[in-house]
Amino acid sequence: MKKNVLLLIIALFCCGMAASAQGRAALRINEVMVVNDSNAMDDFGKRHGWIELFNSNHAPMEISSVYITNDPENPKKYPVPLGDVNTRIPKRQHVIFWADGQPSRGTFHLNFILEEGKDNWIGVYDANGITLIDSVTIPAKLGRNQSYARTQDGAGVWEIRNDVGEKYITPSSNNVIRDQNDKIAMFKERDKNGFAMTIMAMAIVFSALLILCLCFLAISKIGESIARKNKLQAQGIAHDSIDDHDAVGHDTGEEIAAIAMALRDHFDAHDQESTILTINKVRRSYSPWSSKIYNMRHLPK
Amino acid sequence: MEISFGDFLMSNLTQFWHFTGFYNATWEHFVMLGVGLFFIWLAIKKDFEPMLLVPIGFGILIGNIPFNTHAGLEIGIYEEGSVLNILYNGVSAGWYPPLIFLGIGAMTDFSALIANPKLMLIGAAAQFGIFGAYMVALAIGFEPDQAGAIAIIGGADGPTAIFLSSKLAPNLMGAIAVSAYSYMALVPVIQPPIMRLLTTKNERLIKMKPARAVSQNEKIIFPIVGMLLTCFVVPSGLPLLGMLFFGNLLRECGVTTRLAKTASNALTDIVTILLGMTVGASTQATTFLTPETIFIFFLGFMAFIIASASGVCFVKIFNIFLPKAKKINPLIGNAGVSAVPMSARISNNLGLEYDPSNYLLMHAMGPNVAGVIGSAVAAGALLGFLA
Repeated sequence: MKKNVLLLIIALFCCGMAASAQGRAALRINEVMVVNDSNAMDDFGKRHGWIELFNSNHAPMEISSVYITNDPENPKKYPVPLGDVNTRIPKRQHVIFWADGQPSRGTFHLNFILEEGKDNWIGVYDANGITLIDSVTIPAKLGRNQSYARTQDGAGVWEIRNDVGEKYITPSSNNVIRDQNDKIAMFKERDKNGFAMTIMAMAIVFSALLILCLCFLAISKIGESIARKNKLQAQGIAHDSIDDHDAVGHDTGEEIAAIAMALRDHFDAHDQESTILTINKVRRSYSPWSSKIYNMRHLPK
Repeated sequence: MEISFGDFLMSNLTQFWHFTGFYNATWEHFVMLGVGLFFIWLAIKKDFEPMLLVPIGFGILIGNIPFNTHAGLEIGIYEEGSVLNILYNGVSAGWYPPLIFLGIGAMTDFSALIANPKLMLIGAAAQFGIFGAYMVALAIGFEPDQAGAIAIIGGADGPTAIFLSSKLAPNLMGAIAVSAYSYMALVPVIQPPIMRLLTTKNERLIKMKPARAVSQNEKIIFPIVGMLLTCFVVPSGLPLLGMLFFGNLLRECGVTTRLAKTASNALTDIVTILLGMTVGASTQATTFLTPETIFIFFLGFMAFIIASASGVCFVKIFNIFLPKAKKINPLIGNAGVSAVPMSARISNNLGLEYDPSNYLLMHAMGPNVAGVIGSAVAAGALLGFLA
């Protein structure tokens, strides 16, 4: 009983770990603007500082009840409200929170503002208000209409962006703008004839099956030796007194069948089985009550 | 303005006429209907893979009934919300192939492979067909992702081909699937000449030692270790490999017989019906009758030839390093392509042709099931590199 309870607890723990690994731990602060004079506007046509959150999972993520804060002492400062369908972020997508200090304007309006000329710490806590999911400190030197963004969505280092060159400010959009699949472009450019792909992929296929092959060669050797040992033990024969040819595993199916038939023919002997299979016709007197033909449904011909 | 009763009747009948197949038909539709009928004829009269060609053939008929696509009838396979579109989701989102693999795992006895693990390498060598075709496809001018999706036909594995093409080149999936299944049906025609060409008479007469008996424990360990090892090497092959080995564990563990029976019978049958029918229906004239389709069929044919030849050649090279008593009959090399069990049966038939006492079936089943694993690993590798 205790063993079962222990196993159940271990299983629950494993499930819990798996669930948490795939949960909101993948939520990332992706880009932040502290002072916004000429950038994106909210749904009231006003400009404020903003915080972009990114779902780095490859599955949708529900973020209601997580906390967003700018005060490490007060992790539960702004709870993302329940009941808004827009708090479900599709896979690899973003949402913007406006740091306008006016939470009455809707789900995506925070109850704090970001301060110009100061370091701004921003943290996102899980629903328990204890587990810090992600945090970032926006440097005081960040200028007006500049953003502090990750170099890759949900990953990479942080950099200041000012909309000059390739340092685009991208509210509610990917930080890295791609117009093609990089992998395919790379193969197209560097492996025009497909040799590299062939060598790499064949090496992978061979190594996968080679590892499996070696593993099963080892397992079959161990299995054979255990079987041999068990059989010899059961027969009460010392291992050393058996030469290799007589050992278990060297008898082919044909040899075993021939021995079995010889034993059956000459001694009417059986090996160890407690029962004997016989195939004899059983005669029963006919009665319509015992006839199968009256009990079965007939299929149309 | 009031219209007369006759005008009312005529306008409605005219509208109805515009909805009919006769009004919307083009010559391409009739070509495709002909292709569908040809597949059904092949399956019924010639017994070529009837379980696949009947659903695919009838699917082609369903998919090529001409109708007014602007009428918003929600009946076409590509119209969101239509019944066919819902059934097609298993193909487009790629979840039918793993279910088929579950059934294949539950049907397959890996004993021949476990008894002689070195046969796995033949299954690996035959995957060269995939990459040979990949190189040719690049040379013809296909993009790397399209080339990868087409080349997988060389794995001779329909579900794998559908799975990979749904990820890499969804627009070519219909042609790739039909090509893969057509060549699988033609394995008895394609492989024997290659096998005869590449082997000498003495090689065809090689008799292999009977495989040892495999214990129940080994059969249980195989799917677990197999899944862990192959998926650690190629995690992108997880949907196929995971389901294949899971199905096999259901079969071998001895305590889930009912589940194994369902997976190998009812479930596989249901998914095969849906997969075949929807793949057939996806081959609509506008997307199927293009020059690309001809290239895909050509590349698929090449991939099959290269795969069969590389399996046979690998055995010949392998034999150089093996002692005389352990030599492998190169006639089982073709079985490295994963057309289970057709290619193993061909090895056996050809072996019996040259020596009526030389049964190669069980030996050929080793590389044959290794080919299933190998093609799934190859698909995983292509997906990892190109997706």
